[in-house]
Amino acid sequence: MTVAATLALSRAALAQEAAKPGAAPDISGVWLVEKFEPRLFPNGGGAPFTPWAEAKFKATDPKTNDPNLACLPMGVPRFMIAVPYPMEILQLPARVMIIHEGPQVMRQVYMNRQHPKDLDPTYSGDAIGKWEGDTLVVDTIGFNDKTWLDGGGLPHSEALHVVERIRRVDHDTLVDDITVEDPMAYTKPLTNRQVYKLKPGWEIQEYVCEENNKYTYQGK
Amino acid sequence: MRTSTRKRLLAFPALAVIVLLSLAGSAYAHHGFVSWFDMGRSVTVKGTVTSFDWTNPHSYIYFDVKDEKGATQKWSAELGAVAMLARAGWRKDMLKPGDEITLIGNPSKDSKPMMHLDKIVFANGQELATAL
Repeated sequence: MTVAATLALSRAALAQEAAKPGAAPDISGVWLVEKFEPRLFPNGGGAPFTPWAEAKFKATDPKTNDPNLACLPMGVPRFMIAVPYPMEILQLPARVMIIHEGPQVMRQVYMNRQHPKDLDPTYSGDAIGKWEGDTLVVDTIGFNDKTWLDGGGLPHSEALHVVERIRRVDHDTLVDDITVEDPMAYTKPLTNRQVYKLKPGWEIQEYVCEENNKYTYQGK
Repeated sequence: MRTSTRKRLLAFPALAVIVLLSLAGSAYAHHGFVSWFDMGRSVTVKGTVTSFDWTNPHSYIYFDVKDEKGATQKWSAELGAVAMLARAGWRKDMLKPGDEITLIGNPSKDSKPMMHLDKIVFANGQELATAL
């Protein structure tokens, strides 16, 4: 299904769902990060690396081996923090979908199931969600190790586990409290808070990263 | 808004390029801009448009810059993605070959004739930023 068809279908379903009493909190809309800071540790240091991760981090170079240079998916949590383009959240009865404008990737949060066993590792992982009051709690595992955690090159393994607590603190503001666990890469969890602002009237536009990408990726 | 603290001439060969030290970074950096461009400095370059790529993941303005002796150097300015530029007021047909422009942005770290664009000033004095 194309993104456009999915959007049309989802908006119709969302309208039906919103009319029901007791519906889930509404976090739908087009959102943009309030302040673009692509690094989890913008002031340097701070990451509690394991020796394995420290060696990987030292081998990273944003000019040569950032997967973004090849227009590859950002992965999570980079998808949520290091993108200066808007995302649209769509709510269905059994799914919450997050569609990013650039690079154009759709992240699906399944609301009515557990993580499958024997997940095949992917860029976006397997995301399941539940509502705790006004907060959408998203639990994501099943990642491959081909992405960076952030724009600064923080590495991770396939053991990556991301928990997000997403809530709309006021009509125009969405907050995502992110906790990253990866015992192979970090000796303790990493935390980050992202704040997004509602962009009324904005629509997600086409973004074909491969169209005129002049950067060269020299990673694996 | 940028805060300029001092001005000096940049050592691009035979080009009168004003460098403004800047305290603020670009609002929208992508594809490792910080690795390629010196986001702590700002240059102002006057030139003549040769072409305009209205494309993703970045748009580009290609332009010629002439020195006092008439020698021409080929420059390029990198902009953001099409959709964000459109939201900031840019249009694909707003630049054509021969247009005289002034570009303000971050210079390349390796002194190549490239910049990350923050703002354009058209010949009529109209200004347009790349960020919202």
